[in-house]
Amino acid sequence: MTCHEAREQFSALVDDALGAGERAALDAHLATCADCRRELQRFRDTVSLLHAVGPIRAPAGFVDRVLETARPIPWPRRLVRGLFLPWPVKLPMEAAAVVLVAVGVALVYRGTPELQQAARLETPAPAIERAPESPGPPGPVLMSREHDAARESSGARRDQAELKEQARALAKTREAKDMTERPKASESQPAQTQTTDQTIAAGPAPAKTPERERPSSDVEMRQKMDRLAVEPPAPATAGKLAARSEAPRAQAPPQATASLAFAPSDVQGLLEVGDRDVALRQVAELISRLGATETRRVDGTSGPIVELTISRESYPELARELGRVGRWRTTREPAALPAQVRVMLQITS
Amino acid sequence: MEGHSSDDASLVDRLRRDAPRAFEDLVIAYQHRVFGVALRMLGNRAEAEELAQEVFLRVHRAIGEFRGESKLSTWLYAITSRLCLNRLASSERRMARQGEETLTRLASREIGPAEEMERSELETALHRAIAELSEERRIVVVLRDLEGLSYEEIAAALEIELGTVRSRLHRARMDLREKLERFLP
Repeated sequence: MTCHEAREQFSALVDDALGAGERAALDAHLATCADCRRELQRFRDTVSLLHAVGPIRAPAGFVDRVLETARPIPWPRRLVRGLFLPWPVKLPMEAAAVVLVAVGVALVYRGTPELQQAARLETPAPAIERAPESPGPPGPVLMSREHDAARESSGARRDQAELKEQARALAKTREAKDMTERPKASESQPAQTQTTDQTIAAGPAPAKTPERERPSSDVEMRQKMDRLAVEPPAPATAGKLAARSEAPRAQAPPQATASLAFAPSDVQGLLEVGDRDVALRQVAELISRLGATETRRVDGTSGPIVELTISRESYPELARELGRVGRWRTTREPAALPAQVRVMLQITS
Repeated sequence: MEGHSSDDASLVDRLRRDAPRAFEDLVIAYQHRVFGVALRMLGNRAEAEELAQEVFLRVHRAIGEFRGESKLSTWLYAITSRLCLNRLASSERRMARQGEETLTRLASREIGPAEEMERSELETALHRAIAELSEERRIVVVLRDLEGLSYEEIAAALEIELGTVRSRLHRARMDLREKLERFLP
């Protein structure tokens, strides 16, 4: 046995955990090796020091604190738990609660004439929900938030293209009426809506004006953007956008006909670039990189129009990056931005 | 722990029957040992108390699962050791340990500042040396040399082989022997 092998056995020797054979071999080595005997003694002394370490006592009040924590729950609470916690009981009750809420919403909807009137305006035909039955626009319609909620809760999903088509049809209808009743109205800016926190006064869809009468791209963009404002946003945001328009314009027709009104974008602007397609890809990359969300995209005659939502913190970087993509100038930019900034930009060349 | 077997069997029986004061007796009997292991492993009194409470709550909930194949004390040490090692292995704990006070301030009993001043240099060195061991060696030394468990009990508590207990204990003691060299006669 070497010294190294002998010393590997010291721990077991001290604890008397060696087998008879191992013990005999070790003893034989120790009998002839003074270094290992001395080393063994130091090893024993070390273990003796460890055994002399005093015990640790738990802090005062420990038992009480444990008992307090482990105390059984009083029987009334156990009874309540027994009744309500088991899944076989809990699940049906939750299902019943969902049904009750749904029934409640339906009752509120049926019992509120304003909601039904608004719905009728949006659903002229069984197949198509929104096209008006008659060219004459009805009186002002108030769309309450309950209406939005009812629409959402009923799970109505509107096809974006279909709605665009309906909005255009509505605009054409009103344009025809405007031409006969108020010819100058077609040249006016489309009316924007005025809202309060509780209700959204529905404004008319913008009149569709021939493009040749709008030589300025700013005008065209505004027209497009206003049209977009009438179209529903993505389903996730539908009903949540509050219209924050400026004061109603004098040219606005007194009768509000359109059934939809959404907030205009917080920031609007033009991005003049050399290649629209390249710029569109760059904008898409920017949206992705900055954590923004593209909510809509429309092909305008002067170029694609992109609407996106971005956090207030990331907006300055977006503006900087847009300046690198092309010549970015805003046509609308409030002094104070909301937490989530809606940006609408048209890419022109 | 020796000599507690019959008491433990009675205590386990009372615990299973949910007898009055059975759980309280268990906590009273083992509070210092459980807390001691937790403190030596974690090095922080508040964290050690929290962990010791968790040990007893687990025992309270799971006493029905205790089959009596090992001693009650071994079962308690097993739960304590496992919780300590799990906590030490957690990433949160590893982050928190940076800057944490060392185990050198471990108190063997509640003492005042004056008495602490008089604590021997040896005791401080011992605590520091133990604290500086790796976790897997430290738990073996704590269970063997400070708590007095046998190799078999340590192997059962840590769910490791007997040979592993033996080698880890030997390495730990050799480490300590080097660290405590100047205190040896």
